[in-house]
Amino acid sequence: MIRLEVNDIRKNFGGRQVLNGVSFKVNGPERIGLIGPNGAGKTTLTNVLDGAIKPTSGTVYLNGKRIDPLPSFKVAQAGFGRTFQVSRAFRRMTVIENLYVPALALNPTAHRRDFREQAMEVLAFLTIEHLRNEYAQALSGGQLKLLELARLLMLDPAIMVLDEPFAGVHPKLIEIILRYIHRVNEAGKAVIIISHDMDTIFSLSKRLLVLSYGDLIADDDPQVVKKDPTVIEAYLGQDEEDEPVNSQDG
Amino acid sequence: MKKHIPHIVGALAVLFLVAFPLSYRGTNYDYIMHLWITGLFYAILASSWSLLAGYAGQFSFGHMAFMAIGAYTTGLFSNYVFLSSAATHTCTEFKLGSTYLVLLDPIGVTVAKQSCLDLAQAAWPSGVVVTQPSLLWGIVLGVLVGGLFGLVIGALVLRLRSAYLALFTIGFSEILRAGISAEISVTRGQAGLEVPPLFPDGISLLGVTFSASDKLPPYYVMLFLFLVCMAVMVGLERSRFGLFIRSLREDEEAAAALGVNTVRYKILVFVITSMMAAAAGAVQAHYIGIISPNILILLQMSIVIAMAVIGGLESIVAAAVGAVIISFTIEFLRTSFTIGSVTIDMSIWRLVFFGLLLMLTLRFRRNGLIHPIFLWFSRGGVKQETVAKRMAARGDTELDKIEDLA
Repeated sequence: MIRLEVNDIRKNFGGRQVLNGVSFKVNGPERIGLIGPNGAGKTTLTNVLDGAIKPTSGTVYLNGKRIDPLPSFKVAQAGFGRTFQVSRAFRRMTVIENLYVPALALNPTAHRRDFREQAMEVLAFLTIEHLRNEYAQALSGGQLKLLELARLLMLDPAIMVLDEPFAGVHPKLIEIILRYIHRVNEAGKAVIIISHDMDTIFSLSKRLLVLSYGDLIADDDPQVVKKDPTVIEAYLGQDEEDEPVNSQDG
Repeated sequence: MKKHIPHIVGALAVLFLVAFPLSYRGTNYDYIMHLWITGLFYAILASSWSLLAGYAGQFSFGHMAFMAIGAYTTGLFSNYVFLSSAATHTCTEFKLGSTYLVLLDPIGVTVAKQSCLDLAQAAWPSGVVVTQPSLLWGIVLGVLVGGLFGLVIGALVLRLRSAYLALFTIGFSEILRAGISAEISVTRGQAGLEVPPLFPDGISLLGVTFSASDKLPPYYVMLFLFLVCMAVMVGLERSRFGLFIRSLREDEEAAAALGVNTVRYKILVFVITSMMAAAAGAVQAHYIGIISPNILILLQMSIVIAMAVIGGLESIVAAAVGAVIISFTIEFLRTSFTIGSVTIDMSIWRLVFFGLLLMLTLRFRRNGLIHPIFLWFSRGGVKQETVAKRMAARGDTELDKIEDLA
């Protein structure tokens, strides 16, 4: 049973409070959306969760193990995976080599050949099997997003944070990414999706977290969040038909 | 078959290197052998630097410093460490069973001064045996000290990248050079430290006796070291180590997020490449016979970098081949020539030629001049394979559509 506990995480950057006591829990294979305006602290929160940056205060537990003081690679080995807002594929390595990195990092005595079949399956699922021997730098932006997702499958984390997986991606590839999210979720993994694509995130998520300037202002069912006045004011705004007609002065 | 051609050529090249000294009969035998020994020395340095910089992305300018650490460690060891069957009571010494390990006092630059061991020997009765430990221990010690410094520098530069790493390692190299120059009493500074030949009493191989100054024994020692280093590096390149150091070159943070212990591999690559540079330096010191702080000047480092870049930074073998070719080219370009009344002094201008070649390579062939040849053999079919697979996939899709319509 996956259990992530984020307790009162605060992060200051030179006096600027980026995360202001964020707390939430993930229980089991949930599908969670994380939204918020630019600068809300979504990526910083992800960086804190994956150990890339240390919180100023607060704790993070993954399946009962405290992970916030651990270095990134140990957090990954403990079962936390993430993708990046801007693709960070290993560009001067082939597609399949990109997949071998997490597989071998997790299995100290294994060889590349042990994961070849699995890697091919993953690439086939994400429709980039034909690119397996190409250097990642030859891939398009959308294909790089798919490659990052493929790498994550090889890491096989219990919980994954996908940072803007749909940004700048062709609708056909978005379909593939959605299929991916459903598959990993059905396979028992918790998925947190960060996105500005409201339609997709509302239809995809079963639970929505809203960050605004370092505060977690909502954590509920997407349909409830949609109507939350605090969220509407801070981020979503009102539908045009709901907006009051302003009488012009004078 | 095409993919195997580099392996076949590699095996033939090794056979050539092994057979060359036995079959070459030119009158300039010693000169050509000297060029090969120097070429192999630079090949170890350039290929190990390519592992550090090209694979792991650690653009260190301190590689020659590690080479110098190996050279000076074995140089100091062979000048200062002796074994004696009796206590000197004048030198620093340690009792090891029935033998004393004697460390001489600083020798300084004046030859008139008698060492503490000389003084002790004058007072000893006959029968006291003084020997020098095998020079191999000096080389091994040089490699270990090189690795230790690699560990320290690797740990210190963990958070440094690109220009900061380069500046830090230049600083380290210059500090070492200044330190060696300053410690005249121990290192003899710019006067140079004499290092005994690899086989001071000569050596017999297959019934043939070679003197201490013969080129064949040091050639085979350097070749052996070169082949060992290449085998280790190629093995590492193909292992998880190679994969991980390339991932940290590409994106350290992303590699860590995928479970790679980036700190461990970054330090390891420094240690391994430093040990190889130190080993090359130690053997070369015994071959050349004298070392000075000038082996650390930035020009020397630049030559190694240029060799690796021109050969191909992201290929250990290409960097080694590039080093040998450039090592020979630099030497053959020494010959000055005259155009009309103007004499071109090639001893200076050859470096200009070399610099231009480096600049042109960086501008137009970032993969180097040798590496693309290897890539043509190993990856020549990748593009066609990708296109063929894509077309096949499209064909299947079209077929599915037709079947669906039917």
